[in-house]
Amino acid sequence: MSGPILVTGAGGVGKTTVSAALAVHAARRGLETLVLTVDPAKRLASALGVETLGAEPTANPELPHLWAAMLDAEASWEEIARRHAPPDVADRLVTSEFFRSITRHFPASQSYAAAEKMADYVEARRWDVVIVDTPPAAGGIEFFTAPQELTELVGGRLFRWLTGGSIPGRRELFNLAARPALRIVDLALGSDLLERVSSFLFDLRSTYDGLRSRATEIERHFKKSVVLVVTTSDPAPVAEAARFFQALPAVARAPAAVVFNRALPTEWEKVDIPDGTARPLARNLALWAREARRQETVRDEFSARYRVPVARIAWQATAPTDLDSLDALVADSGVLADLL
Amino acid sequence: MLIVTGKGGVGKSAVTAALAVDAARRGLRVLAIGMVEGQGLAGHLGVEKLTYQPAEVRPGIFAMAINRPAALDEYLRLQLHVPKFSRIGPIARAFDALASAAPGIRETVTMGKVLFEARTREWDLVVADAPPSGQIGSHLRAPRTISDLVGAGRVREQTRWMEEWLNDPVKTGLVIVSTAEELPAIETVETLAWLEHEQVVDVASVITNRTLEPLGASVPADVSAPIGAAAALHDGIFHEQQRWLATLPDGPRLPYLFGVTGPVEVTERLADVLEER
Repeated sequence: MSGPILVTGAGGVGKTTVSAALAVHAARRGLETLVLTVDPAKRLASALGVETLGAEPTANPELPHLWAAMLDAEASWEEIARRHAPPDVADRLVTSEFFRSITRHFPASQSYAAAEKMADYVEARRWDVVIVDTPPAAGGIEFFTAPQELTELVGGRLFRWLTGGSIPGRRELFNLAARPALRIVDLALGSDLLERVSSFLFDLRSTYDGLRSRATEIERHFKKSVVLVVTTSDPAPVAEAARFFQALPAVARAPAAVVFNRALPTEWEKVDIPDGTARPLARNLALWAREARRQETVRDEFSARYRVPVARIAWQATAPTDLDSLDALVADSGVLADLL
Repeated sequence: MLIVTGKGGVGKSAVTAALAVDAARRGLRVLAIGMVEGQGLAGHLGVEKLTYQPAEVRPGIFAMAINRPAALDEYLRLQLHVPKFSRIGPIARAFDALASAAPGIRETVTMGKVLFEARTREWDLVVADAPPSGQIGSHLRAPRTISDLVGAGRVREQTRWMEEWLNDPVKTGLVIVSTAEELPAIETVETLAWLEHEQVVDVASVITNRTLEPLGASVPADVSAPIGAAAALHDGIFHEQQRWLATLPDGPRLPYLFGVTGPVEVTERLADVLEER
């Protein structure tokens, strides 16, 4: 296994379950496996053996090759600041009133924090397989563009424009309001805020060199990764999955497979309902068969269009959370088992 | 005005479109606003994409999408009275740079546009396909965040009417869309608790999407044959849903739509159910 396995897709389609299932499957084959997860459902978290945010990789008591860690984007951010900024500046940054805002509201930041963690664990060379359940940021694709975006935010166009090219000293920052365009911003926001934000951005700028070289390394991991796109057969996540196929080759690699979660058995489409079947049961099968047919059309169209292997994960009334049934998901899906 | 939120993947855009269609069927003049790029509102209204200028997408329904540069430009001119002159680009860029660091500013620009449209009185109803519930708090709280953060300046003056408008239950209601599954239900309950605490907006309704009817028979003993397997799946999902529905407040329940392919058909079918209520 050369690079990490990145499990992507729209929110709510079952990325976390798929990541966990892959991890269990790999670990059961004796591979040292780490799954890095974000916000799992409670039962799944306890099955994986991680129940606190920000936890360091922990080996599963029932399956020692299986390690799991849960990402806490906000805490990771503090780590990033401390890693890339001088200590006194890092202190100022993490206590700043703007720090929380930029970590929570800049959509790429949570993705970046996850990507940097991923890179750390891959480089640790302690695991044969690192599986990343990517954060459900809007657009999903941000996980891949985040390193670039963040480097640009901190060192790029906006800040250069504000400061006029070179890194200014603090005194120059206070003169920002003398520039005509900024005078108007000043009028809008009040000079006090402008000054406070400016010095925060100035501090943030000190992380630029570190972030930039780290971003390059992270992108190298992306290029070596195996990307899986998880979706259901509903129109919105399918559209989202299509976006991954269009955009991903430029920033990472073309997805290795698309995983259709909540798939219904295709044979339901062709069943002759036996005589004497209770009417509600017959009606019920007809409904689900219609849905199975719709799903199959969606899958066929997708795989024809993007020429990609399709894995199917069966719809179950409750998402599986024990190790056996997680493992079975991968074994039954065909394509996924071959990836490991 | 209705602001529609919910956990990602629950069908916010479909419900937003259905609310618009339902209102239009009752003769109201409706504006549907997509607040987040890439959400499926356009598709559910049967158009390829939405523009910043409201356009009539079907009789009685106008729709638009907020794009940040356009909204910012308009905000600077109309709300902050920055004159339109050739340097609006640099100003907007500077503003945007600051807005990425200062909490509440981007959200104020986006919410400001929605509220501004609601205030024009050109529409009987404005429905906004809002950011997911994970981010809705910062949008709803944006006016207050800014008045806490900024001592003076025009942005602060602007936030006062926004806060009042959001706070007024006659003018603004929040619709939370959920499904009867673990994570969406938990997030809905958490959002409700946050709203109870913050009191920034009135909750008009919690709509649960994709709910199943009871099977209406008992599950056969043989669950390997399709009849039994489909019954067991249905019954299993139904009971799992009941468990999460019990944690949610009462509100409209929209059905799971079996075999429906097109996003517009989804909208129509959901609007039919809303109309029956």
